[in-house]
Amino acid sequence: MKPDEKQPVSRRDFFRDGLRGLAALGVATLSGLLMHRSVSRRTVWQIDPDKCVQCGRCATDCVLDVSAVKCVHAYDVCGYCELCGGYSKPDAHRLDTAAENQLCPSGAIRRQFIEDPYFEYTIDEAKCIGCGKCVKGCGSFGNGSLYLQVRHDRCLQCNDCAIARNCAGEAFRRVPADRPYLLKGEQGL
Amino acid sequence: MNDHISRRMTTFILITASVILGFYGFSLLRERAGRNTNPYAYDLEPFRRSDSANVLYSETGFIDFSGQVLTALCADPGHGLIVAAGSKMFRVDTINRISEWIPADEPVRCLAVDPERRVYLGYEKSVGVYSPDGSRLDTWQQFSENAILAGIAAGRDVYVADAGNRVIYRMNREGRMLASIGEKDPVKKIPGFVIPGSCFDIQISADGSLWAVNPGRHKLEHYSPDGDLIASWGHPSMRLEGFSGCCNPTYFALTPEGNIVTSEKGLERIKVYSPDGELRDAVALPGQFDEGTVGLDLAAGPEGRIFVMDPSRARIRIFEKGERE
Repeated sequence: MKPDEKQPVSRRDFFRDGLRGLAALGVATLSGLLMHRSVSRRTVWQIDPDKCVQCGRCATDCVLDVSAVKCVHAYDVCGYCELCGGYSKPDAHRLDTAAENQLCPSGAIRRQFIEDPYFEYTIDEAKCIGCGKCVKGCGSFGNGSLYLQVRHDRCLQCNDCAIARNCAGEAFRRVPADRPYLLKGEQGL
Repeated sequence: MNDHISRRMTTFILITASVILGFYGFSLLRERAGRNTNPYAYDLEPFRRSDSANVLYSETGFIDFSGQVLTALCADPGHGLIVAAGSKMFRVDTINRISEWIPADEPVRCLAVDPERRVYLGYEKSVGVYSPDGSRLDTWQQFSENAILAGIAAGRDVYVADAGNRVIYRMNREGRMLASIGEKDPVKKIPGFVIPGSCFDIQISADGSLWAVNPGRHKLEHYSPDGDLIASWGHPSMRLEGFSGCCNPTYFALTPEGNIVTSEKGLERIKVYSPDGELRDAVALPGQFDEGTVGLDLAAGPEGRIFVMDPSRARIRIFEKGERE
């Protein structure tokens, strides 16, 4: 036989190689499945907006210096009101951006005029301490478009969440890590 | 001697232990009390404790709808009330007996009765028209896709308030659109409706003119049937004479004397105003409602009675002037 001639594959080799290939494919599929399941089974803490009673403990009990809980805004639920229960103090002298008329203790809500008589409200997350005062004001008088969520880019994921232990409304619950937020409005559908 | 010293030592140890325990217990109690107070509390209590001296009305009775989720109420003059609880309809006679009426096609958001006692049921995007005996006469479905019907008033014509499009349609009794009322028009000095939520109540007065609530502007607006703005009044305020929060009043009713009864959410208040906006009386104050109650629809009955639909307590509450329980 000449050295450059290909040797014919024997039936035994064919079956052996085929079985090896199938086994490798099986192992790969199994490990992929296991990895997917381990990711989807991983859970994280989140606040159920329907149960939150704005007790203030998200601001006081988080192990971080500034809480990982932040106010988020469902813009499609907001009424864009001039007099916003979440922005202005109930006894505000004027409906303007003066600090003494703002409800937020850290001035974390920005108010911007859109067109008569509509105003847009956005949260400055760096300033938000997660106290929920605006959430209470918005829910009492408005549509409830402001609500609290654990921000997972800040949360330490220690799993022994100090806020969850002390939450007055028992609003903290575990949610799948691949769907870590409980959103309101269109995003929550 | 030793016995004496040992007794003194024991007494000293006991006293010291008691002091330490007492101090520890006190700090623990203090810490627990501190934990229960919210340093960021949104406190509406000072506003909820309004001056009850202004209240000349008292609750004289109620009509119990336990187990029902009340959604709309209107007076059926001379015959009592009509009440909607989702898709269930009820009639209440003049001595407050409840009888189940026709089943509605879908949850009823608003309703009205015309002088011939035809009943108009407002669904989200359509109106069902029924005869007094409950047989269906018509269904109006000509509203746009983003319509959210929130108020109906029926007189010689029928007015339908669409919160989704922030406009009131004037229609004839056959359902043909005659005019649009309340769209922003600087020439006619119409500011336009601001409807942050889904409350958009309307009523027809005895002279055939139209009253509409403009909740985002905290006003009641008075229109001619042709859509000219006759007058408007109201201002935002947590004080009793104004309308609180960002979208109030939520509902209103016209009394036979021509006064206007309003309801608010946030600070749950029922008040009576003159047609030119002067506060006449307070009917009920926040302390008389469960905190967070919404959907206080109203109807004005004969002899000055005011009916308040209270979905939180599943009852129609009856208030009368000058009588206390």
